[in-house]
Amino acid sequence: MTAIYKKEMRTYFTHMMGYVFLAIMLLLVGIFFSTETIGRHNPNFHMVLFNITTFFFVLVPVLTMRLFSEEARQKTDQLLFTSPLSVMQIVLGKFLAAFSLFLVGTVVTVVLPLMVRSYGELPVSQIVGTYVAFLLIGAASIAVGVFISVLTDNQIIAAIATMGAIFLMFIMETVALLMPVTTVASLIFVGVLVLGVAAVLYNSTRNIIVAVIVALLGAGAVAGLYFLGVLAFDGVIIRVLQWLSIFARFNNFALGMLNIGDIVYYISFAALFVYLTANVIEKRRWR
Amino acid sequence: MVEVKNLTKIYGKHRALDNISFSIAPGEIIGFLGPNGAGKTTTMNIMTGFIAATSGEVTIDGLDTVAEPERVKASIGYLPDTPPVYGDMRVVEYLNFVADIKKVKAGRKEMLQDIMRQLSIDDIPKRLIKNLSRGYRQRVGLAQAMVGQPKLIIMDEPTIGLDPKQIIEMRDVVKNLGKKHTVILSSHIMQEVSAVCDRVIIINRGKIVATGTPESLSKGLQQGSIKVRIKGDPAAINTALAAYPIISGITPEPSPEEGVTDLILSGNEGTDIREAIFNCMSNNNLPILLMKSTEMSLEEIFLSFTSSPDGQLRGGVSEASAYDSRPDAVGSVTGLRQQDLGQNPISKEEA
Repeated sequence: MTAIYKKEMRTYFTHMMGYVFLAIMLLLVGIFFSTETIGRHNPNFHMVLFNITTFFFVLVPVLTMRLFSEEARQKTDQLLFTSPLSVMQIVLGKFLAAFSLFLVGTVVTVVLPLMVRSYGELPVSQIVGTYVAFLLIGAASIAVGVFISVLTDNQIIAAIATMGAIFLMFIMETVALLMPVTTVASLIFVGVLVLGVAAVLYNSTRNIIVAVIVALLGAGAVAGLYFLGVLAFDGVIIRVLQWLSIFARFNNFALGMLNIGDIVYYISFAALFVYLTANVIEKRRWR
Repeated sequence: MVEVKNLTKIYGKHRALDNISFSIAPGEIIGFLGPNGAGKTTTMNIMTGFIAATSGEVTIDGLDTVAEPERVKASIGYLPDTPPVYGDMRVVEYLNFVADIKKVKAGRKEMLQDIMRQLSIDDIPKRLIKNLSRGYRQRVGLAQAMVGQPKLIIMDEPTIGLDPKQIIEMRDVVKNLGKKHTVILSSHIMQEVSAVCDRVIIINRGKIVATGTPESLSKGLQQGSIKVRIKGDPAAINTALAAYPIISGITPEPSPEEGVTDLILSGNEGTDIREAIFNCMSNNNLPILLMKSTEMSLEEIFLSFTSSPDGQLRGGVSEASAYDSRPDAVGSVTGLRQQDLGQNPISKEEA
């Protein structure tokens, strides 16, 4: 894992991507620091970081676009996947390299609130909370980017798809509120989800019986829940979409609240996508 | 060393490997021969654990590739058909990275020095790989496979894209590797394989068509037929040949010049028809411009193999002694020559 990590870190700085990332990041920090903090005489640093998260759809692809796509294009994936490293070690090495660069960029910005501190009182808990949220959202979106880069051997496509995905997650909260909350809509949505799970199962196992059984069980469970307590279904679309909206929880942190549930949410979100990445690679071997 | 049992790989509906089995003894140099798409790369990818088989198993040094992938992979060095090199790394940097991922610790520096010297890339340790020529890149790729002294080295088309001098160098390298390692290499060039390999496995359409030493196989490939170029029109030549029943097979070839006829002539098995051809032509005052024995190259055999479905070809001279499996396929090899060689682009180039 450390070998992959070291290689990726070196590649960031031989390929300019590392510099590009840091440059964009620090430029954004500089702009928002002067408009939000200095311009408004506001010691609360959280708006600066919050504004940067709106640019994650540019920053994250810079970090993740080439991680796996370039290996596939250069055929060096054959070297990695025939080496005595496990797939998970390779994925984690790459994920951690991207995250460390993100961490480096974030740590540099700590200078700014420290600068403000010499001119007055700092809302320390809010700022610490904001930084934690910033890093967690970063980890979650980098995991999504890593996952997308394994799906293609073209880094441009990976970059654009990652942009789209992160932008979608960013507007997800607004989109979610537009969704219908009626029971029927929820039922249809859950039904589609069950079918989706069955389809994925069939696709990965090629076992039609298992897929049909799962679909029937799911349908049975949905029907059972429907007849037992209708309330369970109301607004289920919104709840699912909100789960995907990783930016929505930023505000809790910005108020200085470190909610364990939110932290677990982000970590499990990142872990899910790291796991999916490894899974896609493993599955590709069996195809 | 290597034990492959009933290996099958199915991509969607395409059966890339169909139940193949073979075994390789320690220290052997094995050549995989076959046309593009025969399943060579698939077999190698499965052995190295890059892809998984649909069914069947591969054990390397007694270890199952699926059950203990990490230990198996540690004992294999793999050079895929495209050298898996990072263009933005320097040669030494790259080999150090490979040593890292292969978890080589002790004596790394000496080992890398030694490998680079063996492949004569020790003069370019600081060059960026993307600036290297194809031949050098291939050697860096091979150096990568040798890092960590794996017991088994697998090379997919190691000489493709190299110039003749580099090919000869590569052969020497492979021969040297064979002293310490078990080597498997694939190729679609017979000479290539016969020059270095102890044993050859010929595959086509996912099946093993033949195995044997290069000598036994090439004996089977020499058909005893003669290519001639004669000054004169075909009708006269045919009349002349009719008087010599010993020349039993006559296949016209496209002729390169006006007033000249190209033919492939063959006799019955074990007969030498060269003298008969000379006598026949000189008696009829037909000057022989060219006379050479045709050796069937593997490319020719496989081109014909892939262009006609099995079993539809006329069976010909029995050459089965060289092939220890699949008599139907062997029949095809000899039978198809008479039909198909005429349209074969490779044999035209010989002229």
